[in-house]
Amino acid sequence: MTVDIIKNENEAVILVAGRIDTATAPDFENAVNAVLQAFDNVIFDFKDLDYISSAGLRVMLRSQKSINAKFGTLKVINANETVAEIFEVTGFSSIIDIE
Amino acid sequence: MADINYSIKGEKLVIAIDGFVDSANAPQVEEKINEIRNAEPKNSIEIDCRGLKYISSAGLRIILRLKKAVKDTVLTNVSSEVYEIFDMTGFTEMMEVRKAFRVISVEGCEVIGQGANGKVYRIDPDTIVKVYLNPDSLPEIERERELARTAFVLGIPTAIPYDVVRIEDGGFGSVFELLNAKSFGKLLSSGDKSVDEIAKMSVDLLKLIHGTVVKEGSMPDMKAVALGWAAFLKDYLPEDVYKKLYKLVDDVPYDLHMMHGDYHIKNVMLQNGEVLLIDMDTLCHGHPVFELASMYNAYVGYSELDHEIIKNFLGIDFETAGKLWRKMLSLYLGTEDEQIIQTVENKAMIVGYTRIMRRTIRRKGFETAEGRAVIESAKKHIIDLVSVTDKLTW
Repeated sequence: MTVDIIKNENEAVILVAGRIDTATAPDFENAVNAVLQAFDNVIFDFKDLDYISSAGLRVMLRSQKSINAKFGTLKVINANETVAEIFEVTGFSSIIDIE
Repeated sequence: MADINYSIKGEKLVIAIDGFVDSANAPQVEEKINEIRNAEPKNSIEIDCRGLKYISSAGLRIILRLKKAVKDTVLTNVSSEVYEIFDMTGFTEMMEVRKAFRVISVEGCEVIGQGANGKVYRIDPDTIVKVYLNPDSLPEIERERELARTAFVLGIPTAIPYDVVRIEDGGFGSVFELLNAKSFGKLLSSGDKSVDEIAKMSVDLLKLIHGTVVKEGSMPDMKAVALGWAAFLKDYLPEDVYKKLYKLVDDVPYDLHMMHGDYHIKNVMLQNGEVLLIDMDTLCHGHPVFELASMYNAYVGYSELDHEIIKNFLGIDFETAGKLWRKMLSLYLGTEDEQIIQTVENKAMIVGYTRIMRRTIRRKGFETAEGRAVIESAKKHIIDLVSVTDKLTW
């Protein structure tokens, strides 16, 4: 898994490639937390994400909670079919803004 | 062309429509359905759409009239193509339209577990399917999946519950994320983790569960269940004891905090440092006394008279289990004060032995010497503890 961050004026784009699973979720969370400290608005660009496990979804859930606490916005874009399906079937698509 | 067949499932009339329903055959289809309804008048109708390939507006109007005549009419086993028709025309908003299950084959898949209800197969690197051989288990599978999904979205660490599927060779299955984890039971019996470490991790997760508020109606209310256990003992306890027991349970305030309901070392796993909960079919809500009661039973109550029971059940000996239970109780209450711990244990034991006594009587315990011993012992505990307890909360 690789994480790239594009910092714009008011928002950060977090580009994730590969797999977020049990092994990589802690690194993913560290990278996301660093962004959440500096930005209220984040976009997760998942165009190169192949898979997200429950450990990864829990990071998303915690991110959404901390964004809610500071009245920011969180958005997921470009999820492929597999990843979109995971968000859909778990009910996450009703909690997280997925485009 | 369409073929219409029917069967009776309990109080429900099941009408299967095969083929195409369009303006050409719609009158015959409706006539046939009315004939069946006249022969088998029921207040509940299921239209099984397994073989339905296409339905035109004329066909939709038949269903509309049927829904008007019999309010409890549902459409089941709808293919993706036909579902789209129902969806576009607004039928999915107006009535229950259930999609057909995805069909998968487990032939050649690695078997990674075997339970009482069926086998667990690994279907790809990331997912497993729990297969239930009994086709009547479908409502139970769907119920468990819904509970797991509710908990997952609330942030309870567990495997992703995917969809319910139909298995090619028969039966239904529930698809879950594959965990690469070891149960607390295994970690404890192998010596990888100490009693204190397991107690600490168990209690941390337990507090997370108990700190989560659920929506009313999304899970069963444990207090109502426990009141049922108490009520069952009416004829088996002295009147004053029964009255006090019932009042003790009834006085526990209604509580929407989540509880697991079967929280023991086989249902908690460790994966890469993360603690995960499994077996979500017992999820409910209520005051923690009910959780502690079920934990007391798992670690002490059920095997109090026969210490072999816990070895088979949890893979640890009675003494270790007792130590673990006491350590967890102390951590959960945040005190080492023996008197406080004992008072709360008494409350858990009252509910725990109420459950054991009822369960043993219902399983014809009076007919065997072992059963009678369990009933007598539970009864004695209840009588002793109820007299020294004035509330189940703390």
